Amino acid sequence: MAVADASHFDGLISFLKQKRENITFHDIISLAEVAAQSLQGFFQAMDAKVYRELREIAGYIDSMRTEIGALQVNDLKNTRIPSAGEELGAIVAATETATNTIMNCAEALMGADASDPAAYKALVDEKMMIIFEACSFQDITGQRIAKVVETLQHIEQRVARFADVMRAKDLDGFINDQERARAERKEKFLLNGPQLAGEGVDQSMVDEMFP
Amino acid sequence: MAIDMSMPVLVVDDYNTMIRIIRNLLKQLGFDDVDDASDGSAALAKMREKKYGLVISDWNMEPMTGYELLKEVRADPGLNKTPFIMVTAESKTENVIAAKKAGVNNYIVKPFNAQTLKTKIEAVFAE
Repeated sequence: MAVADASHFDGLISFLKQKRENITFHDIISLAEVAAQSLQGFFQAMDAKVYRELREIAGYIDSMRTEIGALQVNDLKNTRIPSAGEELGAIVAATETATNTIMNCAEALMGADASDPAAYKALVDEKMMIIFEACSFQDITGQRIAKVVETLQHIEQRVARFADVMRAKDLDGFINDQERARAERKEKFLLNGPQLAGEGVDQSMVDEMFP
Repeated sequence: MAIDMSMPVLVVDDYNTMIRIIRNLLKQLGFDDVDDASDGSAALAKMREKKYGLVISDWNMEPMTGYELLKEVRADPGLNKTPFIMVTAESKTENVIAAKKAGVNNYIVKPFNAQTLKTKIEAVFAE
């Protein structure tokens, strides 16, 4: 905090010492002038400090605006994330179609009459070709997954940079009630989902728990 | 104890493909009377309509999970003796312990094969 000029206060003190009695209107005005002069330095110092702080805040806001721009939130929101969602939807649809095709073939073979070997072999050959064709889904889903991974990396890099520049700290809690409800349900009903290889228990470990 | 292959079996899973796989495996094992439900609440409704000899259920389903179904079944005096096998991708130790504590008869981790399903069904009816 800036301080007032000490010499002005000295003047004020000596003035009061001299004029303890018989103070006139003129004296009061003089006193006010001395007081105003004393505070002038204080306000000048304060103005400079406030100005400097406001300039720093403006600089920070400007830098934050630049960083938010670098996040490319509109591109993420309007293009990349919807596109990744569509790719994932297409992957689910492709795997479902392929699975159904393969299972249809398997069920047809399981229910087929094998009493005529030639006819049965022709049926097996036909269904096997359909199964081979259905398995081609893996190539295209692999490419789709690569695009989704690329989007996730794009988001990760920008969010990480933003968090670093802003020195962001994670807050506790949930963004909305839906998120809270999902988290509570997950915890209450132990919805952990599939584990990666090496994590969780395998069937042999489960079997030991059910002797 | 010999397994009654004519007993009705209820398969509970929210993925039609998985229901189809289990249904076909059960058919191969000799079970012909197989019904299905897409979540715990649908399964519970079916179990209150028809007496099933075995329930094979997934864990993670909406709105009622297989874990909730298991607890509901074990709390219902009319259903609590029904053999219950959990077939799930939930493979954390805490899941297996929780299911066992809730009264599951056996537990199969996805992905599984026909032999595992056969072995577990036999184990349940050997108890």
